[in-house]
Amino acid sequence: MQVFKTFLKVLRKHLGISALYIVLFMAVGAAMTLMDDSRQMFEQTRLDICVFDEDGTPESKALCALIGQKHNLVTLEKNDDVILDALYYERVNYVLTIKRGYGEKLAAGDTEGLLESRHFHESYSTVYTEQFLNEYVGTVRAFIAGGDSPADAVAHAEAAFAKEVSVNTANFEPTRSSDSQNKTALYFRYLPYLIFSVLMNVLCPVLLVMNKKEIRSRTDCSGIRPGRFTAEVFAGTALFVIGIWLLFVAVSVPVNGCMYQGRMWLAVLNSFVFTLFSAAFALLVSSFSPAPNIINIITQIVSLGMCFLCGVFVDQSMLGDGVLSAARFLPAYWYIRVNRMLEGAEVYDGQFAAKVIAIEAAFVVVLALLTVMLRKSHVRTPKPQRKPA
Amino acid sequence: MFLHCLKYELKTSLRARDLIIWLILFPIVLGTLFKVAFGSIYEKNTLFRSIPAAVVETAENPYFRAAADAVSAGNDALFSLTYTDEQTALGLLKNKEISGILYAGDTVSLTVGGSGIQQSILKSFVEQYGISEAVIRKAAEQNPETLPAVTKALSAEITACTRVPLTDGNTDPFIQYFYNLIAMVAIFGSVTGLHIAIDYQANLSLLGARRSCASVPTAVSRTAAILGSWLTQAVCMVICVSYLAFVLKIDFGSRLPQVYLAAVLGGCMGVAMGFFIGSIGKLSQNAKVGIAMTVSMTCCFLSGLMIGNMKAILAEKVPWVNAVNPVAVISDSFYCLNLYSDYRRFTVKIITMLILTAAFTVLGIILSGRKKYASI
Repeated sequence: MQVFKTFLKVLRKHLGISALYIVLFMAVGAAMTLMDDSRQMFEQTRLDICVFDEDGTPESKALCALIGQKHNLVTLEKNDDVILDALYYERVNYVLTIKRGYGEKLAAGDTEGLLESRHFHESYSTVYTEQFLNEYVGTVRAFIAGGDSPADAVAHAEAAFAKEVSVNTANFEPTRSSDSQNKTALYFRYLPYLIFSVLMNVLCPVLLVMNKKEIRSRTDCSGIRPGRFTAEVFAGTALFVIGIWLLFVAVSVPVNGCMYQGRMWLAVLNSFVFTLFSAAFALLVSSFSPAPNIINIITQIVSLGMCFLCGVFVDQSMLGDGVLSAARFLPAYWYIRVNRMLEGAEVYDGQFAAKVIAIEAAFVVVLALLTVMLRKSHVRTPKPQRKPA
Repeated sequence: MFLHCLKYELKTSLRARDLIIWLILFPIVLGTLFKVAFGSIYEKNTLFRSIPAAVVETAENPYFRAAADAVSAGNDALFSLTYTDEQTALGLLKNKEISGILYAGDTVSLTVGGSGIQQSILKSFVEQYGISEAVIRKAAEQNPETLPAVTKALSAEITACTRVPLTDGNTDPFIQYFYNLIAMVAIFGSVTGLHIAIDYQANLSLLGARRSCASVPTAVSRTAAILGSWLTQAVCMVICVSYLAFVLKIDFGSRLPQVYLAAVLGGCMGVAMGFFIGSIGKLSQNAKVGIAMTVSMTCCFLSGLMIGNMKAILAEKVPWVNAVNPVAVISDSFYCLNLYSDYRRFTVKIITMLILTAAFTVLGIILSGRKKYASI
């Protein structure tokens, strides 16, 4: 157990900086889970609309009130920079100005220049809002044409628009998870990035010390067989990796405010297999003995690239088919497939989930075999003979 | 002597090939992956396309058919409608080939497969059809002579909203990931900056020990080292922006020279930040690399590298964070150049970068200067 003990000694020396990385990525994970509101944009039918009422008449106020019933009214400072920022960062979907003279023009049946809109794209939310506004104006005009006074027409239109049509839902969609389950699944969605980054940044420096040329040479000429050396390094790594994984799994409980139950244990198993993949990748990379400051850059390339391609940061439903086909060759894609079932975004299928986790495990086996082969080839490579002086 | 030191600093930087290659490779690889991942998202998810829906006619309703045909005709059609039987329609809905089924008979109803904005637009259409029907019925019952005027008012094409153009820039929200990528490369210059401090600290490197007892004034050699690192980082930034702009064809707007300026200044700020971190205390090289990386990653996270609207959330709750976060300042400068026609906000960002660079450099010099060692 000499190598195992040495591994733990080296690890202890790196604990300070390891704690820094672990705390940072835990904080990032908690923040991502608690602040995530990306789903609202695509699932919400109530849009965020800012209305500036320049007219201030009962007609314009009635329109404001109706918009408030159907959508969320957002207050913004009437400043172009503020509006531009709010639209770009999607804090509002649409900015509407009810022009001065709106009430008079509406009563006269004039529809030109009633309203002004500020938006970026001809998006679904823009079309939705403008469809509603045009229909409202058209309905008020029709009531006036039918003999109503402008005030009555507005009141009738308001009453007509307040009525909601009931919509039937065909039950093809998977059952949505409960709020607490959804939050847990969201935390686990970001876990591949967190675990991968932590293990690469924390484990690689320790493994680099173990792989130092001088230490390896000394070990090679000692009584310890290369196979045993590798096995003990693997054992030390496993102990450390399981500790970190348990820490991340435990943190989810206070962050999401609920204990694991039912299918959420599948998320725990899924994360464990992905943690093994991350550890295997760290072992493989450290076999090449890169410079310590390069490891962080490699980590960022692999973790960010894999997470963006596989749907960790951007939902898989938004990614193109070509991207998803390429992502199948990465374990994070399969990890996210299981997580989507737990989020309720895909139909839950236990057999498929087991198959997917087996695919992730296959990535681990391949990387572990590659690492063992690489280490063996290092040992067997004959050293160049020094020429006599 | 200064030029001599600068020449050797540049030579050293060029010989530390692994770091330089990775700093150049980093934006190339990640930029390409971002381009692959986000290439079609804007067109696929943000821009409006006719909503596919099926119509199942349970009884003859010529009025509904006329209304449905009116909104599904032309290039800017609201819906792309398929008239079919119920079973086929349900099959299409299950396979997500359509967003909803409109059942048209004596009454009109809607069946959807889930919730979303496309389904809401369909619902809004059904509601409007019901409202129009009610308005006509009311006119027919109470004032039959107004019926032609009412029908005309309802069927008239109305464009109540006039669009006020906001910007000529690229409004694709996913471009901010590329802004953050450039900012990340710039802030990773801290690794280069870190080495200036470490290579001049006698207790951290052999080179530092040798330099401490050399006859060259520390001020001269350290200034040359900082300038050399700035030049190296500037080259990395120019390659990064050029690759994104010319190879990946990322649309940074019409003011590319200013994009280069902001990127280079950002790189210099990253180096200065690394120099400052490296000069703090007597921690080991690994600990300092760890601190530099932790700070850089936190800044990147707060700037929205992982969650796109993080900067907007912070702007609402703690706006000062965006004003002092170096990564947010760099990515904001690209954002301002892209969206604003004037240079007011861009200039503020550039001045902020200059102030932060100067502050980091001066603090680094103060912290690392005049050190004496009883033993090393």
